[in-house]
Amino acid sequence: MSAPQRIVVVGNGMAATRLVEELVARGAGGATKSLHVLGDESHAPYNRILLSALLEGTHRRDALTLRSPEWYAEHGVDLRLGARVLGVDRTHRDVMIVDGTVLPYDRLVLATGSIPSLPPIRGLVRLDGRLHERVHAFRSLDDCTRLMDAVQHSRRAVIVGGGLLGLQVARALSVRGLETEIVEGGEHLLRSQVGNPAGQVLARGLRRLGTTVYTGARAVRLTDNEDGSVGLRLDNGFTLDTDLVVLTAGGRPSTALARGAGLEVNRGIVVDDHLASVTDPDIHAIGDCAEHGGRTTGFVPPAWEQATLLARRLLGEDVSYQGSRSVARLRATGLDVAVLGDPERAAREGGEVVEVTNPVVGSHRKLVVRDGIIVAATLVGDLSRIGLITQYYDRGIRLSGTEPGALLMGDRQAPPTRLPEDAEICACAGVSAGRIRACASLEEVRETTRATTGCGGCASAVRQLLDTRPALSGTS
Amino acid sequence: MTKTHCPYCSLQCGMTLAPLSPSRRTGNQVEVQAWPEFPVNEGALCRKGWTATGLRGSRERLTTPLVRDRATGELRSAGWDEALDLVAGRLAALRAERGPDSVAVFGGGGLTNEKAYQLGKLARVALGTSQIDYNGRWCMSSAASAGNQAFGIDRGLPFPLADVEQTDVLVLVGSNLAETMPPAARHLDRLRERGGHVVVIDPRLTSTGERADTFLQPVPGTDLALALGLLHLLVAMGAVDEEYVGARTTGFDDVRRSVAAWWPERVERVTGVPVTDLHATARLLAGADKVMVLTARGAEQHSQGTDTVLAWINVALALGMPGKAFSGYGCLTGQGNGQGGREHGQKADQLPGYRMIDDPAAREHVARVWGVAPETLPGKGRSAYELLESLGVEDGPRALLVFGSNIVVSAPNATHVTDRLESLDLLVVADMVMSETAAMADVVLPVTQWAEETGTMTNLEGRVILRERAVAPPEGVRSDLEVMAGLASRLGSPVPFSTEPEEIFAELGRASAGGKADYAGIDYDRIRREHGVFWPCPTPEHAGTPRMFGDTFATPDGRARCLPVEHRGAAEVPCDDYPVHLTTGRVLAQYQSGAQTRRIKELPDEGAFVELHPMLADRVGAHDGDLVVVTTRRGELKAPARVVTTIRPDTVFVPFHWVGANRLTNDALDPSSRMPEFKVCAAAVRT
Repeated sequence: MSAPQRIVVVGNGMAATRLVEELVARGAGGATKSLHVLGDESHAPYNRILLSALLEGTHRRDALTLRSPEWYAEHGVDLRLGARVLGVDRTHRDVMIVDGTVLPYDRLVLATGSIPSLPPIRGLVRLDGRLHERVHAFRSLDDCTRLMDAVQHSRRAVIVGGGLLGLQVARALSVRGLETEIVEGGEHLLRSQVGNPAGQVLARGLRRLGTTVYTGARAVRLTDNEDGSVGLRLDNGFTLDTDLVVLTAGGRPSTALARGAGLEVNRGIVVDDHLASVTDPDIHAIGDCAEHGGRTTGFVPPAWEQATLLARRLLGEDVSYQGSRSVARLRATGLDVAVLGDPERAAREGGEVVEVTNPVVGSHRKLVVRDGIIVAATLVGDLSRIGLITQYYDRGIRLSGTEPGALLMGDRQAPPTRLPEDAEICACAGVSAGRIRACASLEEVRETTRATTGCGGCASAVRQLLDTRPALSGTS
Repeated sequence: MTKTHCPYCSLQCGMTLAPLSPSRRTGNQVEVQAWPEFPVNEGALCRKGWTATGLRGSRERLTTPLVRDRATGELRSAGWDEALDLVAGRLAALRAERGPDSVAVFGGGGLTNEKAYQLGKLARVALGTSQIDYNGRWCMSSAASAGNQAFGIDRGLPFPLADVEQTDVLVLVGSNLAETMPPAARHLDRLRERGGHVVVIDPRLTSTGERADTFLQPVPGTDLALALGLLHLLVAMGAVDEEYVGARTTGFDDVRRSVAAWWPERVERVTGVPVTDLHATARLLAGADKVMVLTARGAEQHSQGTDTVLAWINVALALGMPGKAFSGYGCLTGQGNGQGGREHGQKADQLPGYRMIDDPAAREHVARVWGVAPETLPGKGRSAYELLESLGVEDGPRALLVFGSNIVVSAPNATHVTDRLESLDLLVVADMVMSETAAMADVVLPVTQWAEETGTMTNLEGRVILRERAVAPPEGVRSDLEVMAGLASRLGSPVPFSTEPEEIFAELGRASAGGKADYAGIDYDRIRREHGVFWPCPTPEHAGTPRMFGDTFATPDGRARCLPVEHRGAAEVPCDDYPVHLTTGRVLAQYQSGAQTRRIKELPDEGAFVELHPMLADRVGAHDGDLVVVTTRRGELKAPARVVTTIRPDTVFVPFHWVGANRLTNDALDPSSRMPEFKVCAAAVRT
């Protein structure tokens, strides 16, 4: 193992935590000189993607904590919380932390995640640079806590952004009893994941759940009302009066440090198949802040796959990253959505589309198939086959021509038929329907065949057979 | 009229053997009748039990020792002295030439306690070999390993089976008890009549699943992730019994953190169980006063079987269940004496009474009972599969004695194991019929079967019961105990080996005294009077222990251990060449390798079959009844297709009672229990 290194990880989110776990599990304690984790939040690492569940109330705060500070100490990892990094000096190979400390590295890992984008709404940001007090971002645990406090004395909320996070927050607030409205600038909801029909089905579903949806409308201005509430003016002329505005209009990779260090950055920090910066092989990037193969992802599973792979590389293994398959799932009560891969793009690129839309029951399901393999899918409203479809998608299983259709249509129910005489009714005693039909009573069945006396599972079938047997001669 | 117990599964149903009236007498002199007073089955039996006398008097019984003729390669009849002299002579020569570990012993979970005990003693005292293990390693060793780690002791069920009826929510993980131990399924019906709720978790909707109120159908090999996901939700909704985990367990905070990463959508992707079902199941568990979680082979026979059981134990502990009345965790043992067979020295690392062979105090105690010096006892040997893999290789054993096991059918990666058996200098098999393994042997020793011999068994509840001799064995056969004694004396054992079961049981009691599985207070008369006695039972005055963990666990500090575990996944996952999961299991009419049940004419023997879903059948172009070929990286099986909607479409199922299924299965081992991964591997199907 060729890794007598000093590793510094900038970031303390899901990707960084998984990286440290993998390093520790693989015995990094012995292989590396030291491992430092610098997080700008003051909390021990937590499961960020459950913040909407915390908001909704399905999850308690303590269920989000991934690792305690003690765990880091026990495993010889130097965890520093509230340690924002100000800059990376590639010449001296060190980083400077907000308290002035300079920390040298042999390998630097940037796992800085993403930051919420601020939509161009006048009045959103006050003169001192802070958000208007009625306006909330939703990225960190502190954001979530602040929003939960605000919910206590609010009646109405407007969510700006109809993506996955927006819908989750909208549902969470709605479940908490707030009148909730969604403003989405695109023509339909979830526009970066799904097509128009799925978006329409979703919007109907939300309206049924009591949430108003405005699509094709941009918020342009925030004004204070006299009663302390705010008015959010849309570009179609409407003004939505509300107590709360939550911004969920997407995020962008957090790349300021990388830019400052002179690393190549497109949308994200550009990395190669070794998850190393194309500019500096001693600096890596994983998770939301990284761009591999022209793509950035906003999801945890790819971030974790990158973390695992990078841990192996840092400990000397020769492995490379080939990209990830993504499954986006909406976490919200009453809304069932799954998006596998990028269905719109896969369809544009020539995938065959098999889809079933049933607006009456609010379902839309679409599989994009290439050479028999499911390469992308959208499932809205009916997720009964999700457990199978994701397996086929993740493993790249080649299906027959009829299978995608069968997957969406579900099992046909066979009509009930009269059991043939030789059908086995009691497996314990090996008794056929004919032998039971020949008996006059349950007692006789028990005595002569032993059916029903073993596991007892055939009792109801036996009773039915006795009821349906033709009347014996001599009895009424 | 003899009160005894069924020869098959771990339920050990009570039954009466009655002489047939002379007019009906053909081959069998006895017939099975109900024994309604025996509490475990209350007179109920499945068809295996009702037909159990069918093997008696069968033409296929072996009644004379057989020795392979060196000139012709065929087996020929031999006298007992000739056969035993030959075996002992060759074993002694091997030992002199290559040391005691050149001889290995392989036992079974169907052997009585007396035989299991005596076999361990034969290996350690008469042969001096460390190389002994048994097929129970392939049965519930993962649950045993997990039970020992979490509770400090391994007793399949820490409560009587009938307690199942009194719980509120029963969770069956990977158990098809309605087919594997049918009379036990009556408890499910009674539980539901009481208003209780049954959850069944299985990749196939079995006849047990049909009795469930909630049925979850995970991808094979993901029961562990499912448990982590449920515990995640229990933590999230605040359903953890904090008072209990604080007072009666250690380590729960680490477990709590470890499941924070198992949110429902992730669990859905890994297990294939929809998020809505996860939420509903977690709510059900959270809202119940009494919850009982029972695992069986479906959850345990994996390369992560021990961790899977630990994860389910964590669910039970989080809810505050183990030790509470009509609640807790248990393992549904498989083989007839799966429980007792693992307690008295057949395992490579253990001595009688569940003592560890590397514990000096344990060695001292057992050596004193045996009348030998502690330092003469060998140390720890290889586990079952590792033992078989080492046969005939450099430094591996050159001779193997097999009692109560049909390795050729039941070992994983069976083609490879058969190669190893063929490479031996000497294979000796004691059996009642010419099993597939006996057919390979150099010497076959015909032994008595159930109903022809007396001995105790310990059922899945930890209840020690007595099987009584009802009829005389056919002329020419000897009991396993007589075979062991004959070999021991010919090998110059320093101490005598008894052939009387009751005498051996008393010695077993002394050897187990003070151990975890303490039988010292149990004797045959007491078993007869009390319908079995639950261990531990250290003195004749002790009432036995039907229920455990009420006040304390068997750990040094009396607390249960909550141990964080991670889901690693199956050793083999589907890929382009092997695109489906293969899982294996049982059918009602057969038992284990089928050596007994396939020879009973009243039991249907339809041979192996391949269960697959219509969508998969359509993909490969197979119709119900067509011959299909299942291949894995290790072997191939051809059998008729059974097209059913009750199995996951990404999975095929093959029963393991016939030669073939285990040519396919994976020999990846659990790091802790050394259990092979019987229950999942990657396979391809074609017509």
